[in-house]
Amino acid sequence: MIDLPAVLADVGRGMIPAHIYNDQEIFALERDRLFSRAWVFLAHESEIPAPGDYVVRRVLADSFIVVRDESGMVRVMFNMCLHKGMQVCRAEMGNASHFRCPYHAWTYRNDGRLAGLPFHVDAYGGDEGLVRKGQALLPAPSMDSYNGLIFISLRDDAPPLRDWLGDFAFYLDLYTRQSPAGVELRGPQRWRVRANWKIGAENFAGDSYHTPHTHASVVDIGLFREPKASKRKEGALYLAGPGAGTTYKLPPGGSFGEQLRYVGYPDEMVAAMASTWSAGQRGLVEQSGFMVSAATLFPNLSFVHNWPVVDETGAVVPFVSLRQWQPVSERETEVLSWFAVDAAAPAAFKRQSYRAYLMCFGSSGMFEQDDVENWVSITDMAGGSMARRLLLNSRMGLTLGGDPIKPPLATFSGPGVAYQGFGEFNQRHWLSMWSSHLKDGAW
Amino acid sequence: MNRDSAKPLPYSDERHQAAHQFLVEEAALLDAADYHGWLHLLTDDISYVMPVRVTTARGAGFDSLDGMGHFDEDMYSLRKRVQRLDTEHAWTEDPPSRTRHFVSNVRTFATGEADLVVESALLLFRSRGDTREADLLSAGRTDLLRQTDAGLRLARREINVDESVLRTQNLAVFL
Repeated sequence: MIDLPAVLADVGRGMIPAHIYNDQEIFALERDRLFSRAWVFLAHESEIPAPGDYVVRRVLADSFIVVRDESGMVRVMFNMCLHKGMQVCRAEMGNASHFRCPYHAWTYRNDGRLAGLPFHVDAYGGDEGLVRKGQALLPAPSMDSYNGLIFISLRDDAPPLRDWLGDFAFYLDLYTRQSPAGVELRGPQRWRVRANWKIGAENFAGDSYHTPHTHASVVDIGLFREPKASKRKEGALYLAGPGAGTTYKLPPGGSFGEQLRYVGYPDEMVAAMASTWSAGQRGLVEQSGFMVSAATLFPNLSFVHNWPVVDETGAVVPFVSLRQWQPVSERETEVLSWFAVDAAAPAAFKRQSYRAYLMCFGSSGMFEQDDVENWVSITDMAGGSMARRLLLNSRMGLTLGGDPIKPPLATFSGPGVAYQGFGEFNQRHWLSMWSSHLKDGAW
Repeated sequence: MNRDSAKPLPYSDERHQAAHQFLVEEAALLDAADYHGWLHLLTDDISYVMPVRVTTARGAGFDSLDGMGHFDEDMYSLRKRVQRLDTEHAWTEDPPSRTRHFVSNVRTFATGEADLVVESALLLFRSRGDTREADLLSAGRTDLLRQTDAGLRLARREINVDESVLRTQNLAVFL
């Protein structure tokens, strides 16, 4: 039996019991106290543009159909027949007006309502035995969306998504609202890694410290200019609401347009961002001189924005990716990685940005390859006995007494708290939310 | 990729034998981690794609994603991948994986020109370290082999992987 209060106390002071990255008891608590209530990302509306379009996604073991019904409304329904529990949809995507259970042919409209069942009169005596009206696939207990990103919560009384996102929405917009058209998602690539799901979530939240070494190879080959340690440590780390992220420092003195062109955005997209973003959002780029890179929205949705060199001419093109660390067990994670691009972007940009994404992230990405190698190795070690004696030092940025070594940035054009340079403020922020959920399931 | 007829060339046809030998030699280069040798087998206008397969209902009319692959490479990006493996910092392949590319079910189709369309089945075994289970990737491949002055060269490859969720930690390997 783990001593949960002791584990959480250690986490609270930034000394992380290594076994939490491969521990069955911890995983059960995460299932019962965290994923049972947190807002969890499922899909984006651009993945299901037309009536009847659906994708099937999971929250741990629970399978949900995310579908646009005939009236155009997005619905999320538990993928289990009301009669004997078969999955009513076994494809992962497609278009359907109805879902018919293969077992006994109970058939549901794409809004979840039971449309029919065989031998209603013969088998049930009609409505005398089974009132057909009102029967529907179980809806997700709570569902909400922001910028077309569809989230569900398994608690009935989840707070409104926008309230929960809080100050992180400011940063979420930078990835998913570069024009009024919003973002479109392609993918996801899906693959399984033998790593604990928390490691990727923490890494994307704030680990700028790993970039110069883990990703040295992509600097060596001239694919990306920025990760050199000298540049990476100039970046700012911010934590805001249930999210946190990293940024790169932009060249000094550039205007909003110059900075966005530096990372490869074409003029029409620069103009769209200038008119879509708030003064604060523009100021992050112009006055503060930071460009967002990786981020994580608690618990398991991460973002990345990079701008590699995409061809022999040296052209730099940015891309955005969303990725989800879907827990399979305490030692295995399914990664879902989407390419995201502004829906109104020029076709040529979309094509180039997609190729930039493939080179850097996703199942074959040259950054991601080395990340996963680390995470698999950590998970492997965390499952043994010695890991129960080891507290991993996640106190970077704090004095021994617990104060920040450097004060937060006084002028940072974004909500929340931001620090310049290396530090593990964001990972501790993420872990504090994790702890709050595990302690009593309330946060 | 256009082919002359739905019927493959007989195994006795020299064009089929040359294509088959090309694939086996290519697999030997990959298993020996001779990636520069492998690049020499590709034409400068190589297109190397691996769509993401998805589970769809029979009759849906598609079983891979539109506009999203695991690979969509040209010579620039393939060179970058090989250059990366040359560095001292490509951790995911240091220590290197032990791989074996098993190539079978080779069918060769004439195209009306000297080029050949070749279908093959690939089973890639990949083993890393001493505690992890090995990975297996099964795929069908459709290649366009072009006759050049230097012999047959790979101009197009489409890799049709047989899983929707890949059971390997990354694609730091070529198929």
